[in-house]
Amino acid sequence: MAVDQQLKIELGKQGVFVTTIEELYNWGRKNSVWPMQFGLACCAIEMIATTMARYDLARFGAEVFRPSPRQADLMIISGTVTKKMAPQVVRLYNQMAEPRYVIAMGACAISGGPFKQGYNVLKGIDRYIPVDVHIPGCPPRPEALIQAFMTLQKKIDGQPLTGEERPRHLNPEAQGEFPVPEQGAHDLEPTSNPGVWPIPVVIR
Amino acid sequence: MKTVEEIKAAIEVAVPGAGVEIVSNPSVSGQHSLLIAHSHALQVAQFLRDDSELALDYLSNVTGVDYLDKEISEKVKVTRTVTKTVDGVEQQVEETVDETRKRVEPGYLETVYHLFSVAKKHGPVIIRMRTANRTDQVEMPSLTPIWRGAELQEREVFDLYGVVFTGHPDLRRLLMWDEFKDHPMRKDYVEPDDFEYEPTAHDQVLERAKQHAAAEKAAIQEGAEAR
Amino acid sequence: MASNPYFSLAVLFLAALGFGLAPLGMAWLWAKVFSPAKPNPIKNAIYECGLVSKGDAWVQFRSAYYLYAIIFLIFDVEAVFLLPFAVAFTGLGVAACVSMLIFVLMLIEGLAWAWAKGVLTWA
Repeated sequence: MAVDQQLKIELGKQGVFVTTIEELYNWGRKNSVWPMQFGLACCAIEMIATTMARYDLARFGAEVFRPSPRQADLMIISGTVTKKMAPQVVRLYNQMAEPRYVIAMGACAISGGPFKQGYNVLKGIDRYIPVDVHIPGCPPRPEALIQAFMTLQKKIDGQPLTGEERPRHLNPEAQGEFPVPEQGAHDLEPTSNPGVWPIPVVIR
Repeated sequence: MKTVEEIKAAIEVAVPGAGVEIVSNPSVSGQHSLLIAHSHALQVAQFLRDDSELALDYLSNVTGVDYLDKEISEKVKVTRTVTKTVDGVEQQVEETVDETRKRVEPGYLETVYHLFSVAKKHGPVIIRMRTANRTDQVEMPSLTPIWRGAELQEREVFDLYGVVFTGHPDLRRLLMWDEFKDHPMRKDYVEPDDFEYEPTAHDQVLERAKQHAAAEKAAIQEGAEAR
Repeated sequence: MASNPYFSLAVLFLAALGFGLAPLGMAWLWAKVFSPAKPNPIKNAIYECGLVSKGDAWVQFRSAYYLYAIIFLIFDVEAVFLLPFAVAFTGLGVAACVSMLIFVLMLIEGLAWAWAKGVLTWA
């Protein structure tokens, strides 16, 4: 039964706190997003700065960087994903427990950035794994990473517990495996995961 | 420090038949270098390192360079005997004709070693080695036994240019994965056709993206016709 | 029953047990009702920093490692005793110095014995 928002506020004024399981669940999740402790390139330096005293990511409940994917909720792709590293990144993402989220930090992680035409740079990690928040920048400032965190928190807050719109980890039908690309003779095989990244149509 | 000519002379005294050539650098910096033959490369390197006057004990970097096959066309004057009819009489006449001849100068892979001396505080002395061609004779002696610092850099040159260093203790790819077949820093490296999504393409990339789109369209049409 | 002097203890014990078990039970129930388990081979694989692990994760250490640990302990204890000795060194008499030397000698004797037995060679 949905509680009327107006009634809730009214009750709150009288000192009665009303909530739903969904709200409580999402409130708990969004305030304890533990990132995985791994950095890929120069963006990682900004990520480290974000966790330190000056920017203090701990304010958002995300100060615990876990060195194991089993205990992490969030993967921050902080930097250039080379084609040599991409299978490892995808495998790590697979090894994380649901619910899991991905922030693609910086120009390289979202598109390959300045190295896009390089022979060893993946043109964006969203070719293999679903990305929740993209941050542009080269590298993005810590404020941008915090903004991404808040965006992710809003996203988590809006996820329903039941129904068609529920997130992947609550849906028994949704796929939980993202194939790890093989390192082939000339390129990664396959070059993208069409289930995650249908090739966008560019209109010229 | 000795000049390149002096070093060359010293090498030739120390290692007879070393086959050292000077590759001169016409630019302002004038950093001339020594081209070393494969057969005596190790002895020459050992001499450069151990000679008390040179004492080049520090290898600063190893660089790979790729020179493509060059097609040279040159005009040659050729004398031919031509049968001509002069005044109603057939005569053999010598004639000089300009002819354009084309010859292909095979390309080669080159490695450049920059040597310094920490003990004597001088440098760089630059030595080069060249392979016979770019395709099947790409061997070159490794200088890792002389300068240990060459190990990883020679692996990188092997990875990106495909120069095979004989005598290298651990010649594996360094940057690319082991299954990778190409050598990406070579000038004729064909990068994989992954131009399926180029939202902000321009210049060369736009060209490639258009080619990719056209190829894709053709493939789709072919598929539809086959059905 | 309520008159039993241990009754209150039993109640507290049950409450403590419930306090521990209730979150576990709720988590289990939550998992059953809402979040379906979706295991797959990649997810269940051994975590090796993203690489495919080679061999088994269950490896045996050599028993010689245990001896190393014991020798480390010798020096650990030695340091614990040597530090106060060094701090109070200027105010100590000859007897204290000699007894400390005997102590250090005993430890060195242990090390020499281990050395002679070939504990320090790893192979």
